[in-house]
Amino acid sequence: MAKRAQTDPNAAAMAGGAGSMLTLDGIHKSFGQLHVLRGIDLEVRRGQVICVIGPSGSGKSTLLRCINLLEPPDDGRILLEGKSIAGPDADEDVDFVRRRVGMVFQQFNLFPHRSALENVTIAQEKVLGRKRADARAKAEALLARVGLADKVNEFPDRLSGGQQQRVAIARALAMDPHVMLFDEVTSALDPELVTEVLDVMRELADEGMTMIVVTHEMGFARGVADHVAFIDEGVIVEEGEPHEVLGDPREERTKRFLGLVLGR
Amino acid sequence: MEFILDYYFDIGLMGDEFDSILAGFWVTVKLAVLSGIASLLWGLVLAVLRQLPGRAALPLRVITIAYIDVFRGIPLLLVLLLLSGSLSAFAFEGVIPTWLGQPTWLGEPTVFWYGILSLTITYGAYMAEVYRAGIEAVPRGQMEAARSVGMTHGQAMRYVIVPQAVRKVIPPLLNDFIALMKDTSLVVVIGAVEVVQAGRDVQSAFFNGSGLVLAAILFLLLTIPLARVVDRLIAREQARTERGGRPAPVAGGPAPAAGQSAG
Repeated sequence: MAKRAQTDPNAAAMAGGAGSMLTLDGIHKSFGQLHVLRGIDLEVRRGQVICVIGPSGSGKSTLLRCINLLEPPDDGRILLEGKSIAGPDADEDVDFVRRRVGMVFQQFNLFPHRSALENVTIAQEKVLGRKRADARAKAEALLARVGLADKVNEFPDRLSGGQQQRVAIARALAMDPHVMLFDEVTSALDPELVTEVLDVMRELADEGMTMIVVTHEMGFARGVADHVAFIDEGVIVEEGEPHEVLGDPREERTKRFLGLVLGR
Repeated sequence: MEFILDYYFDIGLMGDEFDSILAGFWVTVKLAVLSGIASLLWGLVLAVLRQLPGRAALPLRVITIAYIDVFRGIPLLLVLLLLSGSLSAFAFEGVIPTWLGQPTWLGEPTVFWYGILSLTITYGAYMAEVYRAGIEAVPRGQMEAARSVGMTHGQAMRYVIVPQAVRKVIPPLLNDFIALMKDTSLVVVIGAVEVVQAGRDVQSAFFNGSGLVLAAILFLLLTIPLARVVDRLIAREQARTERGGRPAPVAGGPAPAAGQSAG
């Protein structure tokens, strides 16, 4: 694995070339006394879909939040498209990161005072400086793509959870991200609304989007992911192809977790 | 008995003095509206300064908090006396220019502007705290979502946080405005003639309180409708939230605080 290469800065730089989208090297993060991430190494190639699974409190969400610098890591380095964005040699700033990394949240976090359309246009206009008409056209296309062409003028409180989450995906996609982070995006949804969101994500994966998906949806992980990482207590306990990690886990902790989740 | 009634409600006297009382009330309204608008804006500036992130902004945050603490903690009357005394003294000594120390902008007397300034200084601090409550009531996930689509802190405040915060705090801001309107009467101590002083002049001249009662009636004509507006806004906001204004965390699992879980 690329893991060994990352300890050597030159090799890491090489890993940051060609097909590498994101390289995490020894990421640590603490909140006060709580040591949440205890040295995470992860390599994400362009177009790859990585599912991150693990018990609650294991650090999965924090990991995503470190990647787009919502929570700057305390230690370790992150390369995004070969550029260092966190660590002693960081040469790119938050703007560089946020323009390349889109994020979708568990609680949707749509802007409640803005219509679905405006949720998708506002950052295009204010951050990217796109013209109103262009932003609008793009937003309408994206909302149609997530199946909400008839909801463009609705406000979030008029939309179901599944619809809100699809608007949130469109909002992130409007910024033309190179990587999408999904933080338990179906966990706050009624069961019958989960599918419509997962379907959108599946299409996105099919189109070649690089995705890091923190999820409890094992079916999605098995069906869509190229790579699954099991995190517990702030470290990656086990990772590999879905059929290995989910079908035939080596580690005792992975087995126990899957036993609890899948009820077997 | 008739004397008592006449003392408060001498309709003839009210009619005779109506013009002078109304002229005073016009000053009151101008004071209230101008300082109301000014403190709404100044309060928002203070509230936003108070929320600036990062170590670099620490001194600014400390100064802002100190300002708010001081001017919420001392009487408006004291501010009026101190400000009017010091500004006129500074202007007299030439420490500051006359246009600033003894302003007569828009043809209004100097004491009028001392009043506006004192009311704004004090009520700006009150309103900053109201805005702050509104800003802090916006879920943390809103800032995170705004930052995650590339907005700077300033853009997130401007387009996402403040618009939501202001909507939440319009009723308490209006309450503060009602209080401000009544407090405009304190400017009489620095010699401004507004409605209360006009009523007092009638009282001294005729040994009759009807002028003051008329002043009270004029106040109530504005404050009571304003209070009803506040009630209606609160009721509307409640109806909105009960309908499900927030994206409530739905069935299955406990509601995590927006975006705070370390899971």
